[in-house]
Amino acid sequence: MLLRRLFAAVLAPLALLAAAASPARAEVVKTGHIEVELVSQEAAAVPGSTVFVALRQKIQTHWHTYWRNPGDAGDATKIVWTLPAGWTAGDIVWPTPERVRVGPLQDYAYSGEVLLPVPITVPASAKPGQTVTLKAAAAFLVCEEICVPEDAVVTLSLPVVAGPAKPDPKWGETVGKVLAAAPKPAGLKATWKKDGETLKLSVTGAALKGADFADAYFFPYSGKAIDHAAPQAIERGPEGLTLSLTAGFDFGPEATEVPTELSGVLALKGGSYEITATAGETPAGSVGLGSLPAAGAGSTGGSQGASGNGQTGSASIVGGLPVALLFAFLGGLILNLMPCVFPVLSLKAASLAAHAHDAGKTRVQGLAFLAGVVATFLALAGLLIAVRAGGEAVGWGFQLQSPAVVAVLSLLMLLVALNLSGVFEVGAAVQGAAGGVSAGSGLAGAFLTGALAVIVAAPCTAPFMAGALGFALTQPPAFALLVFLALALGFAAPFVILAFAPGLLKKLPRPGAWMDVLKHALAFPMYGAAAWLVWVFSQQAGGVALALLLAAAVLVAFAAWAYGLGETRRFAGKTPLVAFGFALAGLAGGVLLTVGALKAPVPATGPQVAEAGPGLVAEPWSPERVAALQAEGKVVMVDFTADWCVTCKVNEKTALAGPRLVDAFKAQNAVLLKADWTKRDATIAAALAEHGRAGVPLYLVYPKGAGAPVILPQLLTEGLVIEAVEKAAKG
Amino acid sequence: MITRRLIVASAPLVVLAPSLALAAPAPAFTARDIDGKTRSLSEFKGKTVVLEWVNEGCPYVKKHYSGNMQGLQQAATADGVVWLSVASSAPGKQGYFADGAQARTWMSAKGAKPTTLLLDPEGVVATAYKAKTTPHMYVIDPAGQLVYQGAIDDKPSNKVEDIATAKNYVAAALSDLKAGRKVAVPASQPYGCAVKYKDA
Repeated sequence: MLLRRLFAAVLAPLALLAAAASPARAEVVKTGHIEVELVSQEAAAVPGSTVFVALRQKIQTHWHTYWRNPGDAGDATKIVWTLPAGWTAGDIVWPTPERVRVGPLQDYAYSGEVLLPVPITVPASAKPGQTVTLKAAAAFLVCEEICVPEDAVVTLSLPVVAGPAKPDPKWGETVGKVLAAAPKPAGLKATWKKDGETLKLSVTGAALKGADFADAYFFPYSGKAIDHAAPQAIERGPEGLTLSLTAGFDFGPEATEVPTELSGVLALKGGSYEITATAGETPAGSVGLGSLPAAGAGSTGGSQGASGNGQTGSASIVGGLPVALLFAFLGGLILNLMPCVFPVLSLKAASLAAHAHDAGKTRVQGLAFLAGVVATFLALAGLLIAVRAGGEAVGWGFQLQSPAVVAVLSLLMLLVALNLSGVFEVGAAVQGAAGGVSAGSGLAGAFLTGALAVIVAAPCTAPFMAGALGFALTQPPAFALLVFLALALGFAAPFVILAFAPGLLKKLPRPGAWMDVLKHALAFPMYGAAAWLVWVFSQQAGGVALALLLAAAVLVAFAAWAYGLGETRRFAGKTPLVAFGFALAGLAGGVLLTVGALKAPVPATGPQVAEAGPGLVAEPWSPERVAALQAEGKVVMVDFTADWCVTCKVNEKTALAGPRLVDAFKAQNAVLLKADWTKRDATIAAALAEHGRAGVPLYLVYPKGAGAPVILPQLLTEGLVIEAVEKAAKG
Repeated sequence: MITRRLIVASAPLVVLAPSLALAAPAPAFTARDIDGKTRSLSEFKGKTVVLEWVNEGCPYVKKHYSGNMQGLQQAATADGVVWLSVASSAPGKQGYFADGAQARTWMSAKGAKPTTLLLDPEGVVATAYKAKTTPHMYVIDPAGQLVYQGAIDDKPSNKVEDIATAKNYVAAALSDLKAGRKVAVPASQPYGCAVKYKDA
């Protein structure tokens, strides 16, 4: 303190000498985690005008100060001015904040450098030639993992001049930019509408026509208006957008007096707007063009003060719909070769080989299969679009995020495998053994085969599909459905072509006893698929549930065997009733146990500490962790994965586990983070969307320090990963 | 210029829904108090209950323990109100009390006068009430209905001098209850340090 005063005393005369070069003069105060000073937009004050003076905070890396509504915790910066007589200070012009996630809490804050401009009214009586001192006592809470209240008294000497003032040479431009970027009213019309817990906020106006609504977010001025931590689902319209907010206390079902207005800042990529919404119906222009994934909860969204961050480069498909359709078709083709589709391929091969001798039947079968594939893909896509429209942050593969679906699928796979093993035959097929497969049952069979293939294949987003699906899900529903249609056609193409090409078919061997052997052999990939699904289930639902599901599997297998026995007896002209009774009892038991498994207590749901290969331990991912590690000078690789994604598991085993890779990570000071999407997670879904993806896998390599990540291909090799990490380490 | 190194916040990984519905039954809970006794909300049926989330290291808690909080506790308990301070800081985090004795030492140093203090290191009670900050205050009426939740007063700051001019929401809610009136301000935005939930 004393030292500083001494310096000030010595320096003051010098500064006067230098006044011509730098007229406005201030002193930087260090408060521990922040450097604070007052800076002016203009080099001098003109009587009867307004000059913007900003409180500049240079915040230590990883620490934050807070917006006017700090969100769930924290405290806004406060300034108390001491000004010469007649001078007055207005309210802080708050730049759009960032969204900072602290566990379950959502804060609105600033990081890095932030300028908080304040309009200072200069009285007409101010005398040119005079130099005034503006004094601000600033109090702010600055937080990282912990919070520290800090204070600073900062001053600014400003000469008064008669003529027009020049911009401050050092800060004029920066303050101007902050003011230009600050949220402003733009004549937007805003309405809010309560729908139970949901608060629909619709904004329309000329400024929003054709605007980019990706990552749109509403920052409320009141801390009680909305649930800050809830995702804000985005629906686009021709003239604006509608955000689905979650009501806070003021708009909640128990609120005694609902406020008439909901005001705050609508932050878009292209700019931020001050809005004040009144109660009213959702205008037609604010909806109807499909939904976008809710803005990432932990992402650093807002353009903040002078240091705008353009760090989030979102991948998009160049060329729009035609390219997306092409990629979708190619992706569908490739999906036939993905590891998770293989068991189903075996089904297809078996059914096709069975009819290789009859061109007409194979054609009908091919078409039925196609119909099954298309219908199932469109049904799933429709469901996905509908769910997303409802505001859920789900992506492709979502059907395997539900333990119930996984349990039922695993039992279904087991039944298919038992059927292939010859434990039982489906009724029609028994008759078919005597007189050839009837056209009807063959059709239904092929259709169901198609449906089954899609359900099992869906989570395995093949390399070409990821971009296309990500694109599709951000488009209006009709476009999205077209993309999924192209995907379905690609997926079904090999089988259909085979069915329609007599030349190819003739090359297949004629049916005979070998077919039984093939069928029995192909049962094993299906057992494998069932085992994999059971494992996925155990990851989702825990040990007790796993035991119950395994017991259910045994009962279902018993039921299948008893049913097969009954069918054989019936075929032989004996009464099958006892056997059928056992089958029914077994099945009922299986169903009861499955229900029990789904109701079994689920172990702690927190993200488990993920393990990767020997020596390379993957930490759980969070956007904050990425930023923190980057700032520590580490290269960060993020593995977006899920237990139900076989591609992911294959990559982890082949490309992310070897000793060479471990050495490379150590050598380059790199860290592997794992984002596990086995269960639904809005933050991960948002991060995927940010990179134009709707599903896993996704691999990102962030350079040290700061900067946007490089996206790696979806099929990894060890060499490729090492190369990417080495490149990132070089910066 | 003044650097007060005071510690706050942390990162739990629990998903929180919006704040609790008001005038709805207060969530039931069971927790151990500083005497090792198991206390539950149901044993206080028929009495007004105040829940106060506390973290002894938080600057906002320290602000109110300059006398304000103790005064409120004394006045309320003298009126027959049950005042339960709740310490939900996880082990290893700021504000964690390893045992009742440690909590008692802090309480007597501060002259705190709650009915008792509940040890909630697992954050069970905090999760049930969706407690966000320290202090975060709740008032439950004798029928077990939640009638106030939010900040202790209307001056969100860490400065002791602001207490004098602040409107105390908890005192207001208690006097509304006592007079048989509807609680005028049933909710406010809580302020302070984030509750230090355990890391998932």
